[in-house]
This record gives sequence, C-alpha cells and structure tokens, in this order.
Amino acid sequence: MADPHSHPPAHGTSYDVTKDADTPGGLFAVYLVVLLLFATTFFVSSSGVLGRYALFVQLAIATVQAGVVAYYFMHLRQGDRVVTLTALASVFWTLILFVLFMSDYMTRHRVVTG
Amino acid sequence: MSASTHAHSPVLKHHFNDLGQQHASERLGMWMFLATEVLFFGGVFGAYTCYRLWYPAEFELASSHLNKTFAGINTVLLITSSLTMTLAIRAAKLGDRAGLYRNLLLTFALGAAFMVIKGFEYAEDLHEHIVPGASFGGEIAADTAKHGLDAGKVRLFLCFYYVMTGIHGIHILVGLGVILWLVGQTYIGAIPPENYSTVECASLYWHLVDAIWLFLMPLLYLARGAVHYGH
Repeated sequence: MADPHSHPPAHGTSYDVTKDADTPGGLFAVYLVVLLLFATTFFVSSSGVLGRYALFVQLAIATVQAGVVAYYFMHLRQGDRVVTLTALASVFWTLILFVLFMSDYMTRHRVVTG
Repeated sequence: MSASTHAHSPVLKHHFNDLGQQHASERLGMWMFLATEVLFFGGVFGAYTCYRLWYPAEFELASSHLNKTFAGINTVLLITSSLTMTLAIRAAKLGDRAGLYRNLLLTFALGAAFMVIKGFEYAEDLHEHIVPGASFGGEIAADTAKHGLDAGKVRLFLCFYYVMTGIHGIHILVGLGVILWLVGQTYIGAIPPENYSTVECASLYWHLVDAIWLFLMPLLYLARGAVHYGH
C-alpha cells in the first residue's frame, strides 16, 4: 500500500469509468442468445426427442447460458484475472463436490457383500 | 486519515489508492461471495441429480404435473431482468440518472412479477394436491398409482421442487430489497458514475440468481423425456 500522503490526489479523478460501458446493441444480442437457448431447451425437452440424454443436454445448455451471462452480463470479459480465477474456482469446487459424492452414490449397488 | 488526503473523490474509501483499485476489490469480494453461493446451490443440485438418476420414472412423472407455462414466463422475466440490470450499470457509468432509475425499476418490476407468478403457481400446486406432505393426492397421486410407481419417490421430487424454488425465491426477495435500496441511493444522489460499482455488485448477485434459475427450470419442469414411465 503506497503512502497516502505521497499519493497524487488527481489519481482518483483521472479514472474513466465510461470507457468500459456496454453498448445497448451488444447487450440485446446477448439477451437474444440466452432467450434462444432457453427456447431450444424448452421445445426440444417438451418434444421428448432427447430420450435418456435429456438431463445431460439440458445441463449442457444451461451451462452455456450461465457462461454467456457470466461472461457478458457479469463482465467477466472485463474482469481482472483474479476475478476470473475466483469464478473458475467455484466451478472447479462444484465439480469436486459432484465427483466425490456421485462416485459414492452411483456405485453403491456394485458393492459385493459377504 | 485526514479528509484532505482523498478530497478529490468522496466515493474513494481512504484505504484504497484509487477508484480502479477500489472497484476491483469490490468486484473480487462479490465474486468470492458468489463462489460460496455456487457451492451452496451445488449441494442441492448434486442431491437432485443423484436421486433423479436413481428414480427417473417418478421424477419424470412428478415433473410432468408442474405448470410449464408459469415457469416459461418466469424464465423470460428473469432473463429480461438481467438485461435491464446490465443496462442499469451502463446508465450508472454514463451518469444517466433517469436511465438508472428506469432500468432499476424495470428490474424490480420484472423480479416482483416473477414472485407473483410463483405465488400463483404455488397456489395452483396446493389446490391440485401437488405437495410432498400428507395432503398429497388428486391427479398426480392417481397418475402415480396408474403407472405403478412409488408415491414416496414422487413426493421426494416434490420436496426438491419446493426446497429449490423456495431457496431461489428467497434469493429473489433479497435481490428485490437490494434493488429498492439502490433506487433510494440513486434518489439521494449517492451513485455518481465513479460509484457505479455499487450497482455492478448488486447486479452480480442478481445475475447469479438468474443463472441458477436457468438450471432449475429444465431440471424441475422439463424432466419428462429422460424416460417414458409406464408406457
């Protein structure tokens, strides 16, 4: 931390917050993409064509939607690396959570007793 | 810390070197909180996935009795509210106070409409006995018996339905409160462009709640298709 008494006071005012402002057109485009993905999962799931793969396809589409929301609406694309790392860490920890308990609950019927 | 040290910006907290550092710290802090939220919901999603893989027929049947129209409208409302929230950040950055008001109020209205529709949906579910408790019955119970499925596992799905949508609804209510607070802050002029990050931090929370719904919607309302029970 720099000594505040030696810090140039003009620094705070020279920070231009408007330079990263989104364009309305870009935001609407992202909005339409997320809506389109929702329509896809809604109609494809309702038609029943996915069969036994429905759960995985739905989760994949939802993951893409969440990724688009995070990247554009939550400004990960403008964020510092440490912010991106935090976001990825939450996904990584969730994967650990899933892998550990799924490997238990999904394999219990294979346990040989006696 | 003397007031004269950082007299150049009333928004700048004394322990930060500049606004860029302050905004980066605020974003990072919020993202760390969101990481805990992801893990919080991750546990519930994990339990749901496990039981859905164990009892696909019962989960599919129970899901088919939920109101997809209400859920679909609510999904569009939340996605739209994410757009208006991001437009609110833009307005805050550009110093467009009227735009900030408009987009915050629009976001609030969309979130409130979500909760109202959710209320109607819960009322319909209760009326049709689509509940996990003792009053479970009606058409869903008859359908369960007709297909020779286990009513207990259907009720298990309904437990997930109420817990997951209930927790999500509480998050929406908290978000609505934060948005109202932002409207008040805008009214007293506490959100100049250099303080846009206050709106951005609230928006990060709102977007996460929206993103969680994007997972809840297909898992709870569109489960049919995984298997074809009893046919």
